[in-house]
Amino acid sequence: MQPMIKVDNLTKRYAGVTALDNVTFEVKPGEIVGFLGPNGAGKSTTMRILTGFIPATAGRAHVAGVDVFENSLEVRRHIGYMPENNPLYEDMRIQEYLRFRARLKGLGRARRKERVERVLELCGIRDVRRRVIGQLSKGYRQRVGLADALLSEPDLLILDEPTIGLDPVQIRQVRQLIRDLGREHTILLSTHILPEVEMTCNRVLIIHRGRILASDTPDNLTKTLRAGGEIQVEVHGPLDAVRARIRDLPEVESLSAKGLNDGYVRLLVQPKGETDPREQIFRAVTAGGWTLRELSRARTTLEDIFVQITREEDEAEEDRREGRRRMR
Amino acid sequence: MKNVPTLLRRELGAYFASVMGYVVIMFFLLVMGIFFALVVSFLSRQPTQLTAMKLVFSMFWLPGLVVVPAITMRLLAEEKRMGTIEMLMTAPVTHFEVVFAKWLGAVALYALMWAVTGLYIVILRQFAGNPQALDIGPILAGYVGVLVIGQFLISIGVLASALTKNQVAAALMSFTLIFLMTLVVYWVSSLFPGGKWGDFFQFLSPFKHMDDFSRGIVDVRPLVLYLSGSALMLFITTRLVQLRKWR
Repeated sequence: MQPMIKVDNLTKRYAGVTALDNVTFEVKPGEIVGFLGPNGAGKSTTMRILTGFIPATAGRAHVAGVDVFENSLEVRRHIGYMPENNPLYEDMRIQEYLRFRARLKGLGRARRKERVERVLELCGIRDVRRRVIGQLSKGYRQRVGLADALLSEPDLLILDEPTIGLDPVQIRQVRQLIRDLGREHTILLSTHILPEVEMTCNRVLIIHRGRILASDTPDNLTKTLRAGGEIQVEVHGPLDAVRARIRDLPEVESLSAKGLNDGYVRLLVQPKGETDPREQIFRAVTAGGWTLRELSRARTTLEDIFVQITREEDEAEEDRREGRRRMR
Repeated sequence: MKNVPTLLRRELGAYFASVMGYVVIMFFLLVMGIFFALVVSFLSRQPTQLTAMKLVFSMFWLPGLVVVPAITMRLLAEEKRMGTIEMLMTAPVTHFEVVFAKWLGAVALYALMWAVTGLYIVILRQFAGNPQALDIGPILAGYVGVLVIGQFLISIGVLASALTKNQVAAALMSFTLIFLMTLVVYWVSSLFPGGKWGDFFQFLSPFKHMDDFSRGIVDVRPLVLYLSGSALMLFITTRLVQLRKWR
């Protein structure tokens, strides 16, 4: 099947700054892909290149098989785009704005009428359709942006930070809407909020300093880093004896122990390499005749992965710089 | 160019959705109205060869200097400042369609303002003792001149608006450029009386052309000059918007 988005070796340089560095990725039809990265990582730049708003310095990009640089107008017909900060004409009324956008997107009269009604309904802004956009709350503005993106029933939705600035209830509504839309559309959304991707996306692209560092399902990403996670143990027994017994296990790299008020000892165990020493810890505790009330492994969240991957990348960058300095 | 009607509708709506459209029209009608009253009282005291409408048309530079920057400063600067240019340019429309519709919207507003001065003719017809003074040919030619020169000045304003995202800076830039193109060029032409350079600057200056138009002479040369001039401005503006390097 032809990929919905195909990006090959895309590079974007602004006066001296490399915003995108040789980025390559694909998005298949029907996927909801989350672009995850800190501010300034290159998420918006990638989206702006895909929507034809800015040119790339080097590389190729295709949307629905159409070349983004050769045939930008055709590509734009396939995309519903909601830019960062969701800019809208403040002086227009919601309904008037959506009709204007529908006309710009080339929808015929009958279809225009039907689609405007449909997206007003879908985004829950039918009751406020006559309000002036400049007077709307952030949540409503966001929905108008989303309604606009959906107008032409595009194959691909590109949403840049769709939940930024919303309150928790609105965030939940927008996420639900995105999940629903994902049944019929391919979606590329960006965020720097981790739970957002975990909740809405089938796949995550982690981008940092203009490079893609990881691409996988949220589950797989957490799994690969799960082995090697910290283990929390609570044992009823003398602090020193418990600490000594568990530290001596061959699978344990290091640990910290602390006595609790109720006679229990809490240990945080760092296993060696990718081992899982929970069984050995259990045996060691029962062999000592102590009571065990907790033996659990901290669930690695995407947040940990994200911090770990970006830190590794930063350290590698630091090493490269160090190396260059030495060569001089 | 199929998106131009849609974009034009939006542009005209924007003038009247904000207070700007009304303020500019009010300014124009007030200034021109006062001037018209002065002209009429002057002519009724001291009859000359000049007609009332010819004197009104000779004031074209004042709305050119003030009204044109006021109606063009917003056009692209505001889209850039608000970020709405991103919504606009990621819809399936071309850069030229956008620039052209903005220019056309401003020209339409400008034409609308001048159209109101048609009332002066009604007033003159009602009260003038001499109906010959209201020869319709020179009046129509005068309106052609006002429109042709005005659309060129507007294209300068559109260009200035594409250079910055600050509306005030855009207004000052177009004021300066229009000042150069009208009064300064006229002044320079008077420095070289009769010579080759004098002719050149006089051809660039709109005053001589306006004088011809309001006498009923519709020459092709100024029409070509101003239409090709604004085509060039709109072309440069389109390239500027494409570059997206603005501050």
